[in-house]
Amino acid sequence: MLNCNLLEPDEKIVRKLRSVEYPPVAHPGAKVSVVDDPVSINFPLPTRAGNWSWTRLVSLGFTALAGLFLLAMIGVFLWESLPVWRQFGFDYILGTKWFFRQHEFGILPMIYGTVMVSALAILLAVPLGVGAAVFTAEILPSRWRGLVKVAVELLAGVPSVVYGLLGILFLRDWIYRLLTPFDPLSGDTLLTAGILLAVMVLPTIITLSDDAIRGVPVLQRHAARGLGLTRFETVTGLIFPQAWRGIFASILLALGRAMGETVAVFLVIGRRDNVLPENWYSLRPLLEAGQTLTSKLGGSETFIARADPLHWAAIVGLGLVLMGLVVGITWGGAWLMGREEGPDAPVA
Amino acid sequence: MRRWLDRAFLVGTGGCAVLALTVLLGILAAVVWRGAGAVSWEFLTDGMRQVGASGGIFYNVIGTGILLATALLVSAPLAVGLALTLGVYVRNSRRRNRLVMMLYLLNGVPSILIGLFGFVIFGVLLGWGKSWLAGGILLGFMILPTVAVALFERIQALPANTTEAAAGLGLSESQIIWSVILPQSLSGWLSGSLLGLARAAGETAPIMFTATIFAGATWPQGIRESPVLSLPYHIFVLAQDSFDPAASVRVWGAALILLFLVFSLSLLALPLRLRLHEESRHD
Amino acid sequence: MIKKLPHPVPPTAAPAAPEFLEIRNLSVQAGSRAILQDISLSVAAHQVFGVVGPSGAGKSTLLRALNRLLDLQTGFRVSGSVILHGEDIYRKDVDADQLRTRIGMLFQQPVIFPLSIHANVLFGIRHHRRLRRSDAAELVEKMLRRVTLWEELKDRLHSSARQLSLGQQQRLCLARTLAVDPEILLMDEPTSALDARSTEAIEALMLDLKRTRTIILVTHDLAQARRVTDWLACLCPENGEGRLLESACCDAFFSSSACQKVFDRLDGGS
Repeated sequence: MLNCNLLEPDEKIVRKLRSVEYPPVAHPGAKVSVVDDPVSINFPLPTRAGNWSWTRLVSLGFTALAGLFLLAMIGVFLWESLPVWRQFGFDYILGTKWFFRQHEFGILPMIYGTVMVSALAILLAVPLGVGAAVFTAEILPSRWRGLVKVAVELLAGVPSVVYGLLGILFLRDWIYRLLTPFDPLSGDTLLTAGILLAVMVLPTIITLSDDAIRGVPVLQRHAARGLGLTRFETVTGLIFPQAWRGIFASILLALGRAMGETVAVFLVIGRRDNVLPENWYSLRPLLEAGQTLTSKLGGSETFIARADPLHWAAIVGLGLVLMGLVVGITWGGAWLMGREEGPDAPVA
Repeated sequence: MRRWLDRAFLVGTGGCAVLALTVLLGILAAVVWRGAGAVSWEFLTDGMRQVGASGGIFYNVIGTGILLATALLVSAPLAVGLALTLGVYVRNSRRRNRLVMMLYLLNGVPSILIGLFGFVIFGVLLGWGKSWLAGGILLGFMILPTVAVALFERIQALPANTTEAAAGLGLSESQIIWSVILPQSLSGWLSGSLLGLARAAGETAPIMFTATIFAGATWPQGIRESPVLSLPYHIFVLAQDSFDPAASVRVWGAALILLFLVFSLSLLALPLRLRLHEESRHD
Repeated sequence: MIKKLPHPVPPTAAPAAPEFLEIRNLSVQAGSRAILQDISLSVAAHQVFGVVGPSGAGKSTLLRALNRLLDLQTGFRVSGSVILHGEDIYRKDVDADQLRTRIGMLFQQPVIFPLSIHANVLFGIRHHRRLRRSDAAELVEKMLRRVTLWEELKDRLHSSARQLSLGQQQRLCLARTLAVDPEILLMDEPTSALDARSTEAIEALMLDLKRTRTIILVTHDLAQARRVTDWLACLCPENGEGRLLESACCDAFFSSSACQKVFDRLDGGS
């Protein structure tokens, strides 16, 4: 370190600083130095006790409350359904007959209904939705893309009761006419519910898949096209390998939504208990009325069941099973999404 | 071969897009076409009569309004607390991810389960009967993830130098939150709330056991045993068991009004969201 | 006009208290990577103390360590001590928020809050002191005069501060910082985003402000360092960690052989 004694004014430096040329500052009328109070110096350094504030306390409290809501929900469902687990154990899930007056509670037909209806919905909606998303993300000019995206996101918000109304007044009749060769009892079938659900989850799949596809950097596309790849090859060779995770997550999200959907399904499924196929590969029940976990929960039995502890436990048990299914799927979807984008992947 | 494949790809995906949009827009068209005839001034300002065959949906709109307002009031402080916890207080990314996962799960819970839970808590344990407050609280928790995440994303998108500058002036954490972070992320809260309310407005399942009835309620009186009418439940009931043509026209009218309400809320949120997207792209 | 710039006290003759600000063995780690390694510096009062060095040398990190802004970012570990008036600012019970009212900071990019000019000036101080309306107005005028913005802005104090030019914004930020009345001003390349004219204004302000305050200026502009600083330190990255190469008074500094490589790099870069 060179030795420069600060206490001795260095003439050279003073001269130099004085000789620096400063053109006038922005406004010609302004004087540089007007007022400057001496700095108030307060010793010693300010100290503080701890690191808390009301804002922090209340925020953390509210966060805990939100977590508690979720935990309480699972806890309440477990507790309230305990009698039925005690009495039937796994036969509750595997049982095929539900006659509440005879205290027979088997929910396999409802699980079957839920699985079939949502699987059908996904099967129908995924090709259509992902295809449409590829089109909006890759081919549509960006001006149009914005418009389509707004429209699709608006449609994602159409209330399920409106879908239900449409199902009950249009779709049901169409299905009935379509199925005439199979001699259906009515237009209320698992198939009707599946088709309606497919339409309902379509906007979700389109808009989230579109986001996932657009997430691949534009430059990569240019590079691929610059190598002479066609659009098709770019999408299959470059885009899908990177975007599949987001697309798959969107499908899982849609599946979770389809499984939990109540009102629309309730209105078109016929709500017939104890429908199971004769053998596991038979698709015949699709053309008949059936029951899902949600349509059972949404019905008047939920009110009636209050009078009978075991019946009530069986009804709440439906909620617990549904919760397990949906939480598992949501978890998977969020995990996939989270691995891709970190904590700020889209919700809702 | 390659060109043929590319052509087919274009036509295929284009076809998907056209078909999807046709179905979805067809739905809109059907509601407007069937419902427009029923909507009139009298329909909006009159109470329901003759099991929906005449009269209007005034108290249904009011009831839905009350539920939404309550949901907004319930969700706002909770969402602010959650977003601050996520965006400011929790620095550990693993813990933050765990909290975000909790929000995902809450967001994924089917609305019927929220209704069932509410029925157990408010109806069975507290003995409230059907109550507008119960419904509002449940809807508030239902939209909480949407609002909290929208606000959190906005907070994360705030340029770091803003908070740094405020800290450089000696402001404490709470002072920075109240005078920099929250004022500047208001748009996130607003757009999240609008989107959440758009969803809550159309929900039937959480309120059918807890808050709403089909006929016989006007303005709420008190909290316990004070249900309200609502638009979605009205449509739900009429759709099930009305074969009266007059009621059928009116149920489409109610659906049109509900759709209008939902779309207005999401469209209001749209400019805010677009602006947010643009800003985050600049970073 | 120019000659009137007041230098009532020759800068280097300022009452030098060697213990005014002492940085002792300061190291900053980000995860497993060292950003600053073992920096020891002594800053005397009423100086413009310059810190130069190429990018990546940890100049900004050093500055942020001095008012504990690093506390706000995750993943930084600070060791060593920073002694202000004989007290370590990293002592456990020191209120870092209050500390920052005494060690103010001016950033590379002017940070304007989406408020009026008036509200921007008062933004910090109004959290520390309750101001009466008349006092507030007086303070705003005083501070804007202090940074020579008053004449330009006095007619539109209540319009949005975002319409101002970058140079005006930066001076507004300085006014906002001065309103809190810090004894030390940390400046992180405050003119690198500005045009020549605004740069001159800020430099003139620095020379004027050091009569009452101490300024620590990070810059990559050697000409600027030559113009305004009294004492200089040079940081240089070695294997990714910033080390102190030299600390000397201005003239000696520029003839120092240790820093020639850095000078070449900086001159070449600008």
